[in-house]
Amino acid sequence: MDGDSSTTDASQLGMSGEYMAGSHYVLQSQDDDGDESLHDHEEGNGSKENFREQDIYLPIANVARIMKNAVPQTGKIAKDAKECVQECVSEFISFITSEASERCHQEKRKTINGEDILFAMSTLGFDMYVEPLKLYLQKFREAMKGEKGIGGVSVTEGLGEELTDDSFGKWGASILIESINRRYLPPLVGLGHGGEFGI
Amino acid sequence: MSGNNVEENANHASNSKGISLPMTRVKLIMKSSPDVSSINQEALLLTTKATELFVQHLALSSFNNGPGKDQTLLYSDLANTVEEKETFQFLTDILPKKILVRDYLKLLEENPIEEADN
Repeated sequence: MDGDSSTTDASQLGMSGEYMAGSHYVLQSQDDDGDESLHDHEEGNGSKENFREQDIYLPIANVARIMKNAVPQTGKIAKDAKECVQECVSEFISFITSEASERCHQEKRKTINGEDILFAMSTLGFDMYVEPLKLYLQKFREAMKGEKGIGGVSVTEGLGEELTDDSFGKWGASILIESINRRYLPPLVGLGHGGEFGI
Repeated sequence: MSGNNVEENANHASNSKGISLPMTRVKLIMKSSPDVSSINQEALLLTTKATELFVQHLALSSFNNGPGKDQTLLYSDLANTVEEKETFQFLTDILPKKILVRDYLKLLEENPIEEADN
């Protein structure tokens, strides 16, 4: 990471916040800004005036919800932990995308496709996601085809309520627990149903 | 039509696919990578889904790593997990361990550091 958002200048230290990060010494502002914005992150720090594109984050509410679903019921999550994961997520997306993009270029293609993404994940140490993702994609495609075939009948009616955000959250979490513990991914049931698909 | 409305619609569409993250935002982040021209729908879908898995994975690994007081997931749990697990080591730079300002000042006094630019 470049250093324009960090400072080792002692004269700026007294400015805000209690914490500083070690070794790269990033100032931690104390501002608790709960607003959801595109950047959705602490903006009180005066040393950052221009947001880099890398500072785009996913909404913290969504991120926090997924985290909550993943940890045991009684678990709570500290606010700075949520914000931190928010940042990690953007980093993850960029990480995968760069790798996928590189492969794309090497093969003289301009559009990043699903295969590129899966390949990137495998290369970067996220191979444990590949199988669940392939299955998810398969189910999703089947659901889309089904919708077209029936001609307008909502697929959600057919597949029922099997997959809500919460249930996937718990499923996802249990899959990952298994893979973390045993390096094995159990077969998946009831994945993904399409409704409208429009980006 | 406000920006919020668009996000809501994106969210709604996302929900019906069993995803709880806004794909439009994911796409924005992907496009901010250098040299990315276009991304097909499948790639976006997979990335969004993978991101969900990633959040769960990171949260759970960190939580198991050592719950803070009262079963609360703390920043330090995340920092420790990133340091220890190879899979998460790409996050090292953005997840430095935190120290208090006064400790840092002490550190500076004891060891004047000539830091190269990162």
